Amino acid sequence: MPFVNNKVGDDCTVATDKALAEGEALVKSLVKVVACYRHLASCVGGCTDSLQLRDELRQTREKAQKLAVSIRHHLTSHLRDKSLPVDQRREMELLWVAFSSSLELLHVDMCKVFSMGDIFSLANGVTLVQNGFQGGGSEVAARALSVPDLNQDQTPTLEAGLEIQERSTMEQEISHIDHMIDDMEMKVNVLRWMVEPHGPQYADPLSSTDSSSLALLSVDEEQPGHQPPSKRNQIVVLLLLFAVILLATTLSVCIFFFS
Amino acid sequence: MTIRNTLRDHGQRYRPRMACLKKAEKVLLEMQDPKTGVKSQPQRLVITTIPHAITGEDILSWLADRFQVDTQEARNVGSMLVALGYIYPLQDHKRLVIKPDASLYRFQTPYFWPTQQWPVEDTDYAIYLAKRNIRKKGILELHEQEQYNRLHKWMNHKWDFIVMQAKEQYRAAKERKKPDRVVFDCQERAYWVVHRPPPGTVSAMDYGLERRIEPNADETKTPDFYERIMIFTQQSIMRPRVKSSVSIGALVKYCATYSNHDPFLSKCLPSNPWLTDDITYWNLNMTNVEIPTKMRVERWTFSFGELLSDPRGRDDFRLFLKKEFSGENLAFWEVCEDLKWGAAETMREKAEQIYKTFLARGAPRWINIDGKTMEITVNGLKHPHRYVLDAAQTHIYMLMKKDSYGRYLKSPVFKDTVKKAACPEEQKFTDTQLEQNAKNRRPSLSPIVLRQQEQEQRAKMAANAPVDITQLCRFTTPVPHLAVYSGFTDSPPGHTSPSLPFLANTTACPSPISVALDSTSASERRVEASEGEEAENPEARAPISRNVSKSRMPLSLRRLLKRGCTPATMFASLSPKYHSAAGTSTRIKPICPDQPSQAPPRRIGNFFQIKVDIPPECRIYPIESEDEDEENRASSRGGVGAKEIICPWESLTPQNEIGQ
Repeated sequence: MPFVNNKVGDDCTVATDKALAEGEALVKSLVKVVACYRHLASCVGGCTDSLQLRDELRQTREKAQKLAVSIRHHLTSHLRDKSLPVDQRREMELLWVAFSSSLELLHVDMCKVFSMGDIFSLANGVTLVQNGFQGGGSEVAARALSVPDLNQDQTPTLEAGLEIQERSTMEQEISHIDHMIDDMEMKVNVLRWMVEPHGPQYADPLSSTDSSSLALLSVDEEQPGHQPPSKRNQIVVLLLLFAVILLATTLSVCIFFFS
Repeated sequence: MTIRNTLRDHGQRYRPRMACLKKAEKVLLEMQDPKTGVKSQPQRLVITTIPHAITGEDILSWLADRFQVDTQEARNVGSMLVALGYIYPLQDHKRLVIKPDASLYRFQTPYFWPTQQWPVEDTDYAIYLAKRNIRKKGILELHEQEQYNRLHKWMNHKWDFIVMQAKEQYRAAKERKKPDRVVFDCQERAYWVVHRPPPGTVSAMDYGLERRIEPNADETKTPDFYERIMIFTQQSIMRPRVKSSVSIGALVKYCATYSNHDPFLSKCLPSNPWLTDDITYWNLNMTNVEIPTKMRVERWTFSFGELLSDPRGRDDFRLFLKKEFSGENLAFWEVCEDLKWGAAETMREKAEQIYKTFLARGAPRWINIDGKTMEITVNGLKHPHRYVLDAAQTHIYMLMKKDSYGRYLKSPVFKDTVKKAACPEEQKFTDTQLEQNAKNRRPSLSPIVLRQQEQEQRAKMAANAPVDITQLCRFTTPVPHLAVYSGFTDSPPGHTSPSLPFLANTTACPSPISVALDSTSASERRVEASEGEEAENPEARAPISRNVSKSRMPLSLRRLLKRGCTPATMFASLSPKYHSAAGTSTRIKPICPDQPSQAPPRRIGNFFQIKVDIPPECRIYPIESEDEDEENRASSRGGVGAKEIICPWESLTPQNEIGQ
């Protein structure tokens, strides 16, 4: 944040700074939950689909909605505040854009899960698609709910009535999110297209690049003459070479000394 | 003002329904059955094994069994399933076809199934590309790179969010086990290959334009609704009815005639480009090809309409008519087409020009239509619109069809064409050659380039318009702008060519030859001199601007009235009879005694000679110059080129004066 050399406004800038930081944290967590929800949704209908997965979906959804409601209060109250300085307003608007986009993604994912639940209703014993997944989404759900481990004790019981009830709740939730997005559009006048992002066009790769799964993917390819250079392989080869050289030098030194 | 979020459009745009999707889903669920479905095997990778891989041949045999069809049909169905995205190949993931060998496939997870309910969003695509870029920089292919840049430009305001979401999805993926992570990556990649196909391929989910109304929705019964039903039924009653024996007979005849020419029903020689990716067929059948194919020539014999609609056929027919000296019919027909389909702003000028060239009494290319049609047309031309020449055009069309067409089919021109027509061999490609062809697909010429070529050709044709050799002077040069079809000429006169370049680089858009015989132009231009720069360059003055031409009409009219010159003499002077009498007619004064070699620029014979620039010493059109030349003018009042053809709707003297 730029240093505001304004004695009068010091307190409120500090307050808004804090509010901004809070907003950022909330939005980040919402984005995280939405990403996890998408991963969980990709398992629906597949061979690892189970009541547990549906339960995890529900929990993630609830968390996302809680976050959404709180962010909404936070942002609308700040954005409607006319006395906000320009740069802070810009930051708020950025957050607002991120918030609305993630809400939209969540909405679509929820709709998809809802309609898939129609087709792949667990109560009716429909054949599930063999999509190659082996594990469920428990780890992802744990990440979403920010708990180190999910509580696996109570497994939900398989009941037709329960499923219908769940579907109706889901419908309500979807419409709730719908209304929320509508309200946001109405109440807060943020010109989306005027918002300027901070980040560069090409995001820097994250620190731990996942070369192994890349290698796995590229092995799938039918490229006869092309050997995908895998970092790991190169490092191994180099190490081997180095070891051989070292061995050779030590041997020669020994021979030199002992002869 | 808020932006309506299209993501949650609640079906406000209705997509033309793809019924195949629901059916494919059913089939796919049947394939999952552990007992009766497709056998799956684990896929062994370097570090791990991933279950549920199926081989291509297993899929095909299951499909052939289930639907009781042969292998080729099963292959088509399988390819469709892969193209839609329900099954994706594990090797060679960009080619969405099913191979009848041991290559591996896997079922797509339902989250990534193709659906029409929720449109595929660019935001998701941007997140996917960003994710891949985050994982490893520089892994994006060229088209993906371009898409990435484009999305960055258009979704700039969301870019922080997109990057954030990409990172979060990446981190969430890392929480999963390694094989699941690989599978999810494969699934997502397959999803995007279907919905954002790489260049040179088509997405099977491309369903065309979207509708504005929901086809399943009940329509409210308003008075408008019933009004529409009433109008529809009334029109159905009024429709002319044909006996079914007649209509069915016509259908049967049509099918019998065209069945050999139909690319679906019979082989397309040399090969169908859509199937084999080899464009020889299109090259052989281009518009301006020298030697047409046999099939094409055969089509011309089916009907006159076929002959005219094929540009190469039209060229041939034009050649024939030229030999028969009845080219004006075809020229008139073409010019009417141009009027019908052309731009609205030039319509008026075009109509005038057409009248002067084809319909007026004594016009240079006078067409022979009966009196009633002529009357209708001329009356219509008072208020010209697009379809004003329809009656005349139909008449000429029927004339050509009944008369010239038959003779054309028996003519040596056509027989020559038939003899020279090419018959290409059928091409047989092996599978590897087909793949090679698919890789070598190139885009065709851009339509802009094609349009330019077309315009150049038309200009060339207009430039080679029949020029009356007897009336030539170096000023009677054609102007290629606003070229109206003129048909061929035998040979462009040599000495007109030097003037062409001058005209070519004029910038002003000349009016069409609205006053083709407008000799008023020269002095008028001098007088009015709207284009300052053209004043210096007499040759460049040839084209005049439209405003000048527009003002010329009333100006010349005024002059005419002043001089008391009747249109009759003008028309007479412009009749074809004059050509023979050029230079010897008593009406024509020796206008330029110092330039006897140059005949007065009588653009009678020049169809498109818009502006003939007259040097000052060649005062051929004294009428138009101002009052100081009163005496000269009076003497040469009957001068030919002095009069313009005034369209009957322009002059105050009604048409009854024409009638020598």
